Amino acid sequence: MKDGIANNSTASISQARKAVEQLKMEACMDRIKVSKAAADLMAYCDAHIREDPLIMPVPASENPFREKKFFCTIL
Amino acid sequence: MCDQTFVAATFGPCDSCGTASPLMNIYIKNEPINYCSFCMEVMACQGLQKGETLATLKKECESLKKKLEEDRGKLNDVELHQVAEKVEVVGALSIKTRRVLKGHTNKVLCMDWCKDKRRLVSSSQDGKVIVWDGFTLNKEHGMSMPTTWVMACAYAPSGCAVACGGLDNKCSVIPLSLDSNENCAAKKKTVAMHTNYISGCTFTNSDMQLLSCSGDGTSALWDVESGQLLQSFHGHTSDILSLDLAPSETGNTFVTGGCDKKANVWDMRSGQNIQSFECHESDINCVKYYPSGDAFASASDDATCRFFDLRADREVAVFQKDSIVFGASTVDFSLSGRLLFAGYNDYTINVWDVLKGTRISMMFGHENRVSRVRLSPDGTALCSASWDNTLRIWA
Repeated sequence: MKDGIANNSTASISQARKAVEQLKMEACMDRIKVSKAAADLMAYCDAHIREDPLIMPVPASENPFREKKFFCTIL
Repeated sequence: MCDQTFVAATFGPCDSCGTASPLMNIYIKNEPINYCSFCMEVMACQGLQKGETLATLKKECESLKKKLEEDRGKLNDVELHQVAEKVEVVGALSIKTRRVLKGHTNKVLCMDWCKDKRRLVSSSQDGKVIVWDGFTLNKEHGMSMPTTWVMACAYAPSGCAVACGGLDNKCSVIPLSLDSNENCAAKKKTVAMHTNYISGCTFTNSDMQLLSCSGDGTSALWDVESGQLLQSFHGHTSDILSLDLAPSETGNTFVTGGCDKKANVWDMRSGQNIQSFECHESDINCVKYYPSGDAFASASDDATCRFFDLRADREVAVFQKDSIVFGASTVDFSLSGRLLFAGYNDYTINVWDVLKGTRISMMFGHENRVSRVRLSPDGTALCSASWDNTLRIWA
């Protein structure tokens, strides 16, 4: 039984070490405030919303999927 | 474990783990070390420093995680939906099914648009990969894979090839020929090889490189021409279910989400895991970058979709409702990033307002789970693939 524990331990020690290294690296990250991040996301939306065909629909003639075209196949 | 292989001279608490057991007495650099046999084994394998054990590492891990949460929390001065209160509400959407693509004989698992905004490729459990013309519903190419459950497919940026993979553990690239008589499947070339199913694949900015993610917990970058592995990415502790490449202006990163409930952001050149987000309560089925590249959304079996900002390094929105109890399997943003389309296992697609966090509308039509939703490259249409064997184009 201890054998099983030993095998799991050797694997988990290297895993735990990797996790510690990874967390140390993530801790060094430069973060910005959520208010700034949210403002940037909103600004992006605002800048592009007029070009968004699903929010500001373009006339049906310009949207190839909305055009009324009839496709008939002769069987 | 019964140690019969050495004579235990002493018995007592181990210097390393503290448990009382027969001790091996050895000398390292003239210092007596009294470890029990399993700690001795561990030390021999790992080159552990004196006094460092699994317990101390785990404790360090926990304290680092707590500190990370605190640091992230300090910057949470306001919620996204609060900032977005002054933004105009999105009007009613007039999105309807415009095309229904029938042809697959089993569940459609994945689809991708071509950059020409009209063609798309879809792959299915029936082992077939079909290239469609979205305008005319014409099937331009149909290829049979040697395996069922083709779970991933992608269109090359040039429009001249498609990549697909699934239970065969490989991702293959098939050049599409203009000659309709030619058998495309014969020219298939195996590029990626994993040790478990392929759950997602995408070309990078050119036809020359392919990114794949797999049920074996790794993702990898391959050179298409030679099939060589350029970089591999390790870090997930379970199957990876989805990946997405950052929009081209923002550089060489991609995000993956998997069954370990984590979404990880990777640097393609170094192979490093740059950021990790663990907020979901169940498997993450899909991840997708926000069009600006500064954020991404994820869909999960916990019936929520979440929105993470990369520069603030935290979750900034959760899209959920008490009435939604089925898992979300796929997400995509509209062109401006204001709308989030999420496909669920209750056969519907919910449209969320990304900034306000509210649901705008629901799209009904499919008769089984929605497995994938993708916006066309110019944002005019949305294509959804479903387990009801069809794809629908909405506009």
